Order: sequence, then structure tokens, then C-alpha cells
Amino acid sequence: MKWVALMVVAATALGLAVVLGPAHVPWSELPRSDIVRSLRLPRAILAFLVGGALGLSGASLQALVRNPLADPYLLGLSGGAGLGAVLAIATHLAGPWALPLAAFAGALLAMALVYRLGLVGGGGGQLDPRVLILAGVAVGAFASAITTAIVSLAEATALRNAFLWLWGGLSGASWDAVLVACVYFPVPVVVLLAAARPLDALALGEEPARHLGTDVEPLKRRVYLAASLLTAAAVAVSGVIGFVGLVVPHAMRALWGHRHRPLLPAAFLGGGTLLTLSDTLARTAVAPRELPVGIVTALVGVPVFALLLRKWTAS
Amino acid sequence: MRLRAHRTHLAGLLALAVAACVRGGRAPEARGISVTDDAGRRVALAAPARRVVSLSPAVTELLFALGAGDQVVGRTTWCDYPPAARAVPSVGDGLNPNVEAVAARHPDLVVLYQSQLNETAARQLERIGLAAAVVRQDRLEDVGRAAQLLGALTGRRAAGDSLAREIERLARGPALQPPPMARVAIVVWDSPPMVIGAGSYLDELTRLAGAANVFHDLASASASVSLETIAARHPDVIVVLADTGSALPGFASRPEWQVIPAVRARRFAVLAGSLFGRPSPRAAEAVAELRRSLEAVR
Repeated sequence: MKWVALMVVAATALGLAVVLGPAHVPWSELPRSDIVRSLRLPRAILAFLVGGALGLSGASLQALVRNPLADPYLLGLSGGAGLGAVLAIATHLAGPWALPLAAFAGALLAMALVYRLGLVGGGGGQLDPRVLILAGVAVGAFASAITTAIVSLAEATALRNAFLWLWGGLSGASWDAVLVACVYFPVPVVVLLAAARPLDALALGEEPARHLGTDVEPLKRRVYLAASLLTAAAVAVSGVIGFVGLVVPHAMRALWGHRHRPLLPAAFLGGGTLLTLSDTLARTAVAPRELPVGIVTALVGVPVFALLLRKWTAS
Repeated sequence: MRLRAHRTHLAGLLALAVAACVRGGRAPEARGISVTDDAGRRVALAAPARRVVSLSPAVTELLFALGAGDQVVGRTTWCDYPPAARAVPSVGDGLNPNVEAVAARHPDLVVLYQSQLNETAARQLERIGLAAAVVRQDRLEDVGRAAQLLGALTGRRAAGDSLAREIERLARGPALQPPPMARVAIVVWDSPPMVIGAGSYLDELTRLAGAANVFHDLASASASVSLETIAARHPDVIVVLADTGSALPGFASRPEWQVIPAVRARRFAVLAGSLFGRPSPRAAEAVAELRRSLEAVR
């Protein structure tokens, strides 16, 4: 029943995203309109995929580091992506994909650094979740500091625009971006969904999980790498979008409980739905102007989350 | 009725011109200068400023246009016009300026751009005993007022008043006849797409060139809008600014932008950032140049 409801809400969100927009397109022309076919449709699909990716990687990272405050950007990814984007503009890299690729490379670099710092102890080392969080915050702060230094020293307008891009959301959505997401996303998504059962064991603690026969070290690495690679790609196609990866997993936990088998797919659908609805609002609420989608995800997501939190703590 | 208004206007201009000549003729403005700047502060100088630090590219350009170029002893990193301005030592940024670097030029007047970011600096300059004038330079009418203010402060009242009249004539004068491609969207950034609204200098230049900004209904200077909105407004031409050259912007070839017919047909007008990017005494030149670019679009 809950699943049917979630599916219906998700489908409605996608439908609204295609039907509603600042330009008036009559019903009869919807299937033929250029605006719908080359702008609204790819944007709705991309919003759903990116929102889903953020929801899923947020839920997985919260399970991995066993910290309810974890979100996909916690581990230095947004800082790294921002540095990449600013460097691309400062060094005048040209081409339509220069900015997304540079942001992706920056996020990967931050991820690799955090991963290396998170490995503690002798031999191959163990991935320590607490060290991961600290390393993530430190690397993120360092990358942001370098970014701010470059922005304040170099050609101002172009670099401020790098931030516009970074927080710009889905305005650059195209079929190319949808194609990239469709080719890239399935592998990390499948890796994370397959980790559901061992993540349940990990929730009990690393020792108990080991006793239950879970191969804890490879699991942690797999989940960390898959969630980060997924987020890095999401940043490349849509910039940094806050709150989806933090709020959606908790909201879904309030509805589906703590078992990851239902939680992870629900977080994907819930994240996709939230971002699609938020983006539709961002495009239409103050038309002809447009709001940054990250503001709308917070405005929509946080009240819903607060309601669920009350319901959750009351029972 | 219109004719009479026109005559009254002319008479007013004439009176102003005479007054300006009389004041301009009285060579050294001996008894000190006291003016009210755009922030409503009184700026008092014992004598016309001889060492001016300009903290805005638009102010630097204006000072040179008033013939006060050799009184400019400091400029921002971004002051690139006229070419002679580059020879003046830079004191860094114009917003949130480095007050020590400004003071090191030993100015007797510092001119700041009106912005929240400069309020602290204006107070700090006052505290160390440096006269600071704040000028707004966002729209065409600001150029004339700033010209009079800076003319008074640098001992070039006549030049300031005559430039103010020129700008006034341009701003109040009739717009040109609409060119064949008259509806324009001025796109200043592509991701997210940002366009110019009614609150901007570029919107005024567009009107004077006989064209119409399709986003004139947006009150702010610029706003981010969706591609869908740009497409739905059917601009004939996309106007963009470029620092160098006249190459089409990168977004011209991006697939999602082809929804806009003007982009698909490559109907672009590429304008030089240094002439169009800030309100300037060269406004008339900018209007003529915009007009030429729009007429050249096929």
C-alpha cells in the first residue's frame, strides 16, 4: 500500500513537471511542443534521477558512518566540486562539458583524499567512519578555502558565475545530461541496493556485524565509493543541491523503518519525487523568474520532515 | 503643448549653461567646496581635489572624461578605460577596498561606488581624515549626477555640467525608430540563464536604440529565468556581452538552447563589455553601436 502511494506520488510529480512551466503550452500541443520535448521532459527525468541518487547515497552514508547528520556532501564532495569548477573557469577551459567534468574531477580528488585519510591502522588499514567524517569536513574546508582565495584574487565576475553554476541546479538539463546519468548511475545504484542486507547488520555495530558473518571492511569501502561516485556524478550534471540527501532518508525511515531492503529503494523514489516537485516549483512559483532549486528543496523538505519527525518521536 | 514643453526645456538648459559658464569661469574655487553625495553625506574640501583615488571603473572613466585624468592617483584592478587609466597605480578591489592601500596613495579625495560592501570603508576613510564621496553608478541618469558631483569636487564644474546636460539630452530624447529586429533578450550568463531586466543600464540603452527588451517587465537589474521563459517570449535577437572579440557565446551551440528560435537562427548581437558593461559618458556611442549591431543581424 505504502509502495503504491509512493509510486503514485512519484508519477504525479513527473507528470506535473512536464505539464507545468512558465510558458503556456496548451494540452493538445503537449506531445508536439518543442518546449516540452527538449526542455521540460529531460529536466524532469534528470531531476528525478539526481534526486534519487542523492536520497540513496544519503541513506547509505548515514548507515555507513552511523551518524544521522551525514549527507552526500559531508565527505568533502561539494568543496572539491566547487574547486574544480572554479579552476576550470580561472584557467579558461572551454567547451560545454568543461565545467561539469572539472567539478566531477574535483569531487573525485576530494573523495580519494578523504578515503586515504579515513584508512587507519596497519596493513591495508580499516575504514574508520569517525575519521572519515573528520577528514571529509577538513578536506571540504580546505578546498573551499582555496576556492575562495582564487575567487577573491582573480577576474571577479566570471568566477562568481562558477558559484552560480555550482548552486544553479537543473537549468542546464538536456538529453545529453540525461544520457550521461542513465549510463553512469546504474552501477553505483545497484552496488548500493545490493548492500542493503549487510548494512542492516552493520547498524548493530562493526563487531556484531562481523559475528553475523558480514565482511565489514569490503562492505564499508564498497558503500563509501559507490555513494561518493554517485554524488560526484550528480554534482557534475546539476551542481550542489542540499537537503535531499539529508532529509529524504530520515523521512523514509519514519515511514518504512530502519531495514535497508525497503529503505534504500524508498529513499531513491522519495528523493526523486522531492527534487522533481521542488524543481517544478522553482520554475513556476515566481515565473518568469526562477528560484535556485536548493532553496525550494529546503522549503518543501524541511516542513514535511518536521511533521514526520513529530509523528515518529510521538509513537 | 509638446512644443511648448520642449521650448521650456531648452530655456532651462540655456540657463543652466550660462550658470555653468559663469561658475566655470571663476578660476580657482577659493572658498572651499561642499557637496552632498549619493549616500546623502556632506563632502567638504578646502580646495578642488588634486589626488583622487577612484574605487570604481565607471568613476575612473568619468574622471578622465571630465579632463581630471591626471588628478587620478589610484584606481581598481578592474579600471580598463580609457587606456591611459591603466598607467595609474592600482589599489586592488573597488568593493570592500583595502583602506591602507588607498591611504598609501595620499589622496585628498576617495570616490567609492555606492554599495553595502563599501559602507565600512567609507567610515574608516573618514576616521583617518580622508574625504570620501559615495556615488551611485547603476543607470544612465546616475552618470549625469555623478559628472556634476565629481566636476564640483575636482574643480571641473563646467565640464561636469556640460557632460550632465549631454547625458540628460540623450536620456530624455526620443528613442530611435525600431530596427527590423527589435525584440531582444540580453543574456548575461548561461548556466543558470540570467537576463537583464528593467532596472539595468543595458535596458535603457536598448530602449534608446529603438529596440525592446523582452524582459522589461522584470523590475530588477538582472534575474535568473528558465530557458523555457526565454523561448516563450520570442526575442528576435539575443544580445550578449564579451570581454574580447565577437565570437558567439558557448551556449549558442548547446542543444537545449536551440528551443529559442533566435539561437537556432544564430541571431546574436555581441557587444564589448567595456563599453556596455557599466554606465559611462560614452552612452551615446553605446546606443549607436547597439543600433548598428542590431541592424547587422540577419
